[in-house]
Amino acid sequence: MTEELKVSVDRKSNGAVLYTKGYINNVGGEEIANRAYELMDDGVRILLLNLRETKIVNSIGISILIEIIEKMMDQGGKIAFCCLTPVIHKTFQIMGLANYAAIFDSEDAAVKELRLNN
Amino acid sequence: MNTTDQRQMELTLPMVPDIEIAAARAAANLARELGMSPERIDEMTHAIIEACINAREHGCCDDNRIYLRFVGTSEGNGSRIEVWVTDRGSGFDPEEARSRRAAPGTAHKRGRGLQLIEAHMDEVDISTSKDGGTTIHMVKYEKKS
Repeated sequence: MTEELKVSVDRKSNGAVLYTKGYINNVGGEEIANRAYELMDDGVRILLLNLRETKIVNSIGISILIEIIEKMMDQGGKIAFCCLTPVIHKTFQIMGLANYAAIFDSEDAAVKELRLNN
Repeated sequence: MNTTDQRQMELTLPMVPDIEIAAARAAANLARELGMSPERIDEMTHAIIEACINAREHGCCDDNRIYLRFVGTSEGNGSRIEVWVTDRGSGFDPEEARSRRAAPGTAHKRGRGLQLIEAHMDEVDISTSKDGGTTIHMVKYEKKS
């Protein structure tokens, strides 16, 4: 059985919002990483991950998210997350993501704080 | 008078990619039948997912199976689910796995599955031995207020 993750991107003038739908495991994490690295190569330095349609993550997928955060920080950019379920929020705190990436309740709040323009 | 409702279920699953989702869904269905809240169910399913991944990583053996047992109990004052995740692999050292953890809250790439299991469940105990396989026994409660 496979649980394919779908990723879509809304490109903004000074960054991007990346939407995930499905299970963030090793394969899903790599899919997010590929899209994030394409955006970074294209100059994006502000990236918001909206996980509204992701209900399950695992520790391997999160380890890949940490790698993306580290790479973005190395390039002087920042990554944030929004619309997490309570258990994913708790998991991110345990795994330490919350120390390196801001977490917002809503996309509107994140866009405002990150000053992402349309 | 309090009545007790008990459900039991056993599953044997192949060690194939994403099979942990099947285990998590089965447990979630049982928990819903017992009236457990969605947030407690989500915590339990994330722990089961990590336990199954642990079995795949450390339980490589001839039969390539993960054995799961669930016992759910619903009483007047709440519900409780016990989960056993067993493999017949080469075992692992839980203390060594714990020692690889970074300080709580610091980003660390691997070795956090056990930490997530312990954070999401109310009770966890692990029995493991070289060539004797591993069983992770977990309990999740919910008391009615």
